Amino acid sequence: MLGTRVMSGARCRTECWWKRHIAEQLKQRDRVQRQAFEEIIHQYNRLLEKSDLQAVLSERLQPDKSDLQNRHDLSPGADEELTELHKKRGELAQNVIELNNQMQQKDKEIQTNEAKMLQYQQRISELEAECRELRNSLQDLERANQTLKDEYDALQITFSALEEKLRRTTEDNQELVSRWMAEKAQEANRLNAENEKDTRRRQAKLQKDLAEAAKEPLPLDPDDDIEVLSEDASDGAGQADVSPSRTPGRTPSKRVSQPPSGLLDSISSIFGRRSVNSFSGLTDGAETHTGACAEVRVPSTALHTFDAHDGEVNAVCFSPGSRLLATGGMDRRVKLWEVVSGRCEHKGSLTGSNAGITSIEFDSAGSYLLAASNDFASRIWTVDDFRLRHTLTGHSGKVLSARFLLDNARIVSGSYDRTLKLWDLRSKVCMKTVFAGSSCNDIVCTEQCVMSGHFDKKVRFWDIRSESIVRELELLGRVTSLDLNHDRTELLTCSRDDLVKIIDLRSNAVRQSFSAQGFKCGSDWTRVTFSPDGCYVAAGSAEGTLFVWNVLTGKLERTLDKHHSSAINAVSWSPSGAHVVSVEKGSKAVLWSDM
Amino acid sequence: MADDKDVLRDVWFGRIPTCFTLYQDEITEREAEPFYLLLPRVSYLTLVTDKVKKHFHKVMRQEDLEEMWFEYEGTPLKWHYPIGVLFDLHASNTALPWNITVHFKDFPERDLLHCPSNSVIEAHFMSSIKEADALKHKGQVVNEMQKKDHKQLWMGLQNDKFDQFWAMNRKLMEYPTEEGGFRYIPFRIYQTMSDRPFIQKLFRPVSSEGHAHTLGDLLKEVFPAAIPQDDEQKKYLIVIHGIEPLLETPVQWLSEHLSHPDNFLHISIIPAPSD
Repeated sequence: MLGTRVMSGARCRTECWWKRHIAEQLKQRDRVQRQAFEEIIHQYNRLLEKSDLQAVLSERLQPDKSDLQNRHDLSPGADEELTELHKKRGELAQNVIELNNQMQQKDKEIQTNEAKMLQYQQRISELEAECRELRNSLQDLERANQTLKDEYDALQITFSALEEKLRRTTEDNQELVSRWMAEKAQEANRLNAENEKDTRRRQAKLQKDLAEAAKEPLPLDPDDDIEVLSEDASDGAGQADVSPSRTPGRTPSKRVSQPPSGLLDSISSIFGRRSVNSFSGLTDGAETHTGACAEVRVPSTALHTFDAHDGEVNAVCFSPGSRLLATGGMDRRVKLWEVVSGRCEHKGSLTGSNAGITSIEFDSAGSYLLAASNDFASRIWTVDDFRLRHTLTGHSGKVLSARFLLDNARIVSGSYDRTLKLWDLRSKVCMKTVFAGSSCNDIVCTEQCVMSGHFDKKVRFWDIRSESIVRELELLGRVTSLDLNHDRTELLTCSRDDLVKIIDLRSNAVRQSFSAQGFKCGSDWTRVTFSPDGCYVAAGSAEGTLFVWNVLTGKLERTLDKHHSSAINAVSWSPSGAHVVSVEKGSKAVLWSDM
Repeated sequence: MADDKDVLRDVWFGRIPTCFTLYQDEITEREAEPFYLLLPRVSYLTLVTDKVKKHFHKVMRQEDLEEMWFEYEGTPLKWHYPIGVLFDLHASNTALPWNITVHFKDFPERDLLHCPSNSVIEAHFMSSIKEADALKHKGQVVNEMQKKDHKQLWMGLQNDKFDQFWAMNRKLMEYPTEEGGFRYIPFRIYQTMSDRPFIQKLFRPVSSEGHAHTLGDLLKEVFPAAIPQDDEQKKYLIVIHGIEPLLETPVQWLSEHLSHPDNFLHISIIPAPSD
């Protein structure tokens, strides 16, 4: 046990010993190998660095030194310095000369600049003067302008004042006219009343006379008595005093036999005539239609042949008073002619249309003229002053026919665009458009009904209010023309099958058909016409012959040729019945009459 | 343990005063001054001689510069041995400072490895550590380390940072207490007169009976000639880090404290100086 303890103690000691040995050895080693040399090597390296640095510095100093030496070599030589100075002086002199030269140059430059400045100043003053002048003229112009403006303003004021005056005057005038009209009406009323009173008085007197006459019977011849009575009545009331006093006494006995009836007739005829007279007195100013009662004479000779237009003449129409004649042609004009002593005298032209005229119509009073045109429009002129009043546009094709309705306030037009349009003249707008289905060649109107002749051979009857087709009538050829007789009971048609027909509007059937050897319809727009009394029909043929048929007999009444050289386009019979005018494809128009 | 830490410090900071001289046949423009330097024992020649290179470059012609190499008394110095080993092996008996001749020409291809850059030294150093760890812990410790830990070891050596190095190296020196030591002791025994560069064998720090093996046990097994026979004149000196530890010193302790940074215990056996 002891032994092991000693062993372990020894081991411990040995352990410490070898460790201590190593530590000591290491210390020893460091002392010898490290600490002995550490400082020396450190110092050595510092010295090495220093020497290196010195070497570098010395290298750098080398060139400086050589410079310094050179300078020391030069300075002792005073001669060299002198020459140096001389040289410098020479250089300076040179410099002085050069600078002098430069100065001179600059002087010159200054001089030229001054001269230029002078020039510019002159120019400036010139320009200023010009500027002033211009400003003056501008002022003048402005003043003139102001003056003109003032004058214009003054004139404007005057103008407006005058306009105002004109307006007032017009109003006054209107008022006066209306007052005048009222007074006229009053006067007419008074006159009527007076007439009535007078009539009543006469009647009363007559009755009294008759009663008196009846009281005292006279043995007189009844025939004579009646004659006297009628004469008395027609001549005047004054003379009737004597004879009627005798007649009444006898009347009761005669009432059974025939004479009294004649007496009553004559009495009633007296009253009838009186009433007619009073009526005519009222409508004195207006142009009256003689119409059916006109004296129609079938033309036999050409009174006057004249060139109506440059080119084709398409339409012709007499005014309701028969005094004026209107023609329309491809030269875009409507011409007015006055029929004076068997001649047509040119009165004036209605211009405004942009293409050829296709149809013409006067209104019933004869104061307006309506023409349809190829420029898709219809136009209205006043006849008195030849002025264009309305242009009715809206169709998309040629307007082939345009007519006044009977109230003169509306117009119906038919166009190549296959529509009919109804226009109101007061508002100048299209009121209705009707799709007819075919190009419309001609139109006529009655109170309620519009009749249109179409390219598809049909005549269509329209109700104005319902704008629907009332009925249709198909012919054998394209319908070129329509016309109504005075009573508006018969419709005259012309179609391309060379037949002229009369259609009875009441029975709605063809009543008569006219044709003739050599009668040929010249175009789709050949217009035919009734005579004013409806007893004749006139139509122009393609060869230039005018045909007149008698409606009553149905026979051809007359053919008139040798005056037209080309197809007749339209015929118009004057409302007075005395004249017929035909126009042709050439430029001619012919006035026919029976004289 | 305070002594053990001191031992580690002394080992780390061991220096050898060296004088570098340019080989006389080298062509210089100026006279080349010798260059003195304290070389760290634990480092490698090429890692610490940048200043030497710069110093001699100043006096050399640029076209004559080739790879620098060192030679001591005719022996080319292998840069991949730690400096301390080179000194102990070749120059421990000479007077200080250690005179090393510097060459820039005629590189001895047969004797030396090229060292173009520090990364080559790093690779050699790391491979040594890995080898040592393979012996000590089957390589487990070093393999568990991260890349940056490896870098820390190397940077500690390169920049001569004791604390930085040992903070990481400590892990490599651990062992399970029940086993009493590493699996094998990583050691290398160098001789001056031998064809083999060094002796390296497997050697356990603890005997099969449980005794701790000493340096004497190690030498007895690996290099018996180094142990002096009874009463015989000492023929060899066993030198580690420039000192002669006692043969009774346990190899485990030696391995832990006197190993170089590459974790090997480098033992130089040099002939004893005949007086």
